[in-house]
Amino acid sequence: MGGRPRPRFRSVWVFHVDASACNGCDIEVLDVLTPFYDVERFGVKLVPTPRQADALLVSGSVNRQAVIGLKRVYEAMPPKPRIVAAVGACAIAGGIFYDSLAVYGGVDKIIPVHIYIPGCPPRPEAILFGLGQLLGLVNKKIEPRILYPGRRVLDRKYGVLFNERLYKDLRYYLTRYVGYYDRDYILDDLLEIINSSRTVEELREKIMDKASRLKDPRLREVYSIAGGYIVEKIREETGAV
Amino acid sequence: MAKYFEKTDKWVVTFKYPLEPLEPPRELRGKPEINPDLCIGCGACAEACPPNAITKEIDYREGYAKIKIFYGRCIYCGRCWEVCPEGAIVLTNIFEMATPSKDDLIYEVNLELHTCSRCGRYTEFTERQVHRAYTLLTGIPRERRKELLDRMFLCRDCRRQVFSHDALRNRRTDKYGRASQTPF
Repeated sequence: MGGRPRPRFRSVWVFHVDASACNGCDIEVLDVLTPFYDVERFGVKLVPTPRQADALLVSGSVNRQAVIGLKRVYEAMPPKPRIVAAVGACAIAGGIFYDSLAVYGGVDKIIPVHIYIPGCPPRPEAILFGLGQLLGLVNKKIEPRILYPGRRVLDRKYGVLFNERLYKDLRYYLTRYVGYYDRDYILDDLLEIINSSRTVEELREKIMDKASRLKDPRLREVYSIAGGYIVEKIREETGAV
Repeated sequence: MAKYFEKTDKWVVTFKYPLEPLEPPRELRGKPEINPDLCIGCGACAEACPPNAITKEIDYREGYAKIKIFYGRCIYCGRCWEVCPEGAIVLTNIFEMATPSKDDLIYEVNLELHTCSRCGRYTEFTERQVHRAYTLLTGIPRERRKELLDRMFLCRDCRRQVFSHDALRNRRTDKYGRASQTPF
């Protein structure tokens, strides 16, 4: 293990503060301690009192009750190194409670924060990544991006039968059946078939042929339904114009 | 006993993650990213975002519409992906976003605003939105299309003026030359 980076800190003892979190982040913090993720191999240990702690793991959008406890915990810590890690969207900027009157919205409004770990809740791997950064084992991988893409928009190319409006109709129709995650893959596939065919009959045959070759019965259903819908729509369009 | 120790290496379940790279699953909902070539700046994502992690601001002085994502507040619900009419915003499977500085969590797309063809001021919609609206006019009958095209490149105020001007010119009058009660 010669190439392994040397940690900045050794055996950081951590105290976990729940500053009005929904317990999602707290459960993920507990997950990090299980043998599967095992944060103790870096010397990170959860301690029962802030007087023994080097670092705080704060989760939750700090509300008016929690801020009293949070301040007392921070003052009870030894003066060095007093590291604070904000875990989860609420601890960083208030999460979905950011505009609530009962909430301060962010740990950094109360005490200085050394590392922000986004996620709602963050995955155990994300917490490991954050703690690894704190210890100096890994470097950050994100940086601010401000883009000026210009005024030209990327135009999709359609064949003889199709146009922008039909594409959008088909897109929303597919979303109703398969949801937005699988939609994109199916849509790409269907577009290829539509753009390569010249007549409505040919298109219909091609889609039914494709559907019959699929193994998954759910996909077969979706392809045949979407195929019927496209054919109907194109017939309407050509009939009107 | 020797056999037991031989086998123990295979039974290690612990991740080596921060020391070795990890391939996240493809369908993991991670950092949302805007494809700058596809985004038209309509702001549907900003409307749908429950914690307002995505916001749309219009800068009339510089002439840009800013679509801004602040990852610190994002809850990865995927509603922006669901509502985006162009398929520009997609949730990638990147989760390694921990950072010591809050400024790193910003992603911003600046799109040029359309200028009104009558008065020359910036409108509240982008150049790309007008382009997209133009491409959507394909299946519409020619007379109706011309009527729409006349008003498409105007700002909101000019559109109102042109509309009222046309309405006054085309108003119905009775046989004495007086305007009727129902002008349209």
